[in-house]
Amino acid sequence: MSELPTLPPFRKILTATAGAWLTAAALLFGAILPAEYGLDPLGTGRLLGLLALGQAQPIATEDGEYRVDQTELSLYPAEWVEYFYRLDEGGNMLFTWTATGPVTYNFHASPDGAPAGYAESFDAQDLQEGHGTYTAPFSGIHGWYWENTGTEEITISLTTAGFYTAAQEGRARAAGRKPLTDIRGNRLPVDP
Amino acid sequence: MGDVSISKLIVSCVIFTLFVALPVSTAYAHPMEGTNAGFVQSVDGPAPGPFLYLGAKHMVTGYDHLLFLVGVIFFLYRLKDVVLYVSLFTLGHSLTLLIGVLADVSVNAYVIDAIIGLSVVYKGFENINGFEHVFNITPNTRVAVLVFGLFHGLGLATKLQEFMVSDNGLVANILSFNVGVEIGQILALVGVVALLGYWRTRPSFTSYSFATNTALMVGGFLLAGIQIVDFVLFS
Repeated sequence: MSELPTLPPFRKILTATAGAWLTAAALLFGAILPAEYGLDPLGTGRLLGLLALGQAQPIATEDGEYRVDQTELSLYPAEWVEYFYRLDEGGNMLFTWTATGPVTYNFHASPDGAPAGYAESFDAQDLQEGHGTYTAPFSGIHGWYWENTGTEEITISLTTAGFYTAAQEGRARAAGRKPLTDIRGNRLPVDP
Repeated sequence: MGDVSISKLIVSCVIFTLFVALPVSTAYAHPMEGTNAGFVQSVDGPAPGPFLYLGAKHMVTGYDHLLFLVGVIFFLYRLKDVVLYVSLFTLGHSLTLLIGVLADVSVNAYVIDAIIGLSVVYKGFENINGFEHVFNITPNTRVAVLVFGLFHGLGLATKLQEFMVSDNGLVANILSFNVGVEIGQILALVGVVALLGYWRTRPSFTSYSFATNTALMVGGFLLAGIQIVDFVLFS
């Protein structure tokens, strides 16, 4: 009974293994490389129209108006500021900011029509700079909260470009340097 | 009979290609991308729920792990054996997942994933008795499943390390991920065991088992090939 098969087990197994290897190689080079990596070593990508799948579309156009914004925000110790842009869903913004001293920041956004105080946070760290791009996941206001965590007055320089329609700033009021007052209510001279 | 086997083999390969191999190329083997990755990067502290989910998702949607499990239990007829082999696999991958992340062992993810792909090839080859007939050796299948479990765990560890930024809550998060992996594995196994259990009662199981394991090798070679391409292009 074991002598009956036309292919002995040894040959059959080698044929199957080689066949498996060749099938995988054919799929990889013939279909996956063109479709997923945009490479076309066998020319099958062009032939089957798979190449288009592997080539990322590098340009996305926007309907809104292109705007640029450059601002300097100064913060006394423990003071905070919020700086937002109004972006529609899918709107893009390119940003770069640096602080002259230690800050903690939180990039977050509030969708239009959300309950009061609702915000989604996307990035919160203690870094002195940030650079990147942002795509609004929903229409609303999108921006930073910065708080001066050091002991000196600092300045944050923010530059953005994108398809936002407005910018707005929110701050803790009445922050800053206060005159010293003695026990009789007289103001004392302050070091510059 | 040889001709019949070859034609069956081709049919199986075509079916396999349509249902398994092509989705692999679009989904890849490791779907922790996009929003999930963004979330994991932002985690600072213990987050058992999300890591449990990610572990389970990784297992259920990871073709490499699934195909390997199909190969492992293909010829295991008794539930006792399924439990034994799956436990060995679990022991292996849990060990390297925990040690890998805790000791900060960094291995190239593409190399590890290529080895995991080849583990699928190995299992298919073992299932068609390749080692007995071609190399005249009988591998210890239990040791093999344990050793490949170690590699699968290293793959999981590498993947988790790529995304975890914070050491805060690290142990809780790896443990959650690991428990998630086991939950995902059980979910996947229930499906695979049920399907194989039904298929074994049909006459087609015996006639197609050789072809199916050959198709498993195709899948393994393909997974390994994709990782090698990634390694060449992106490493």
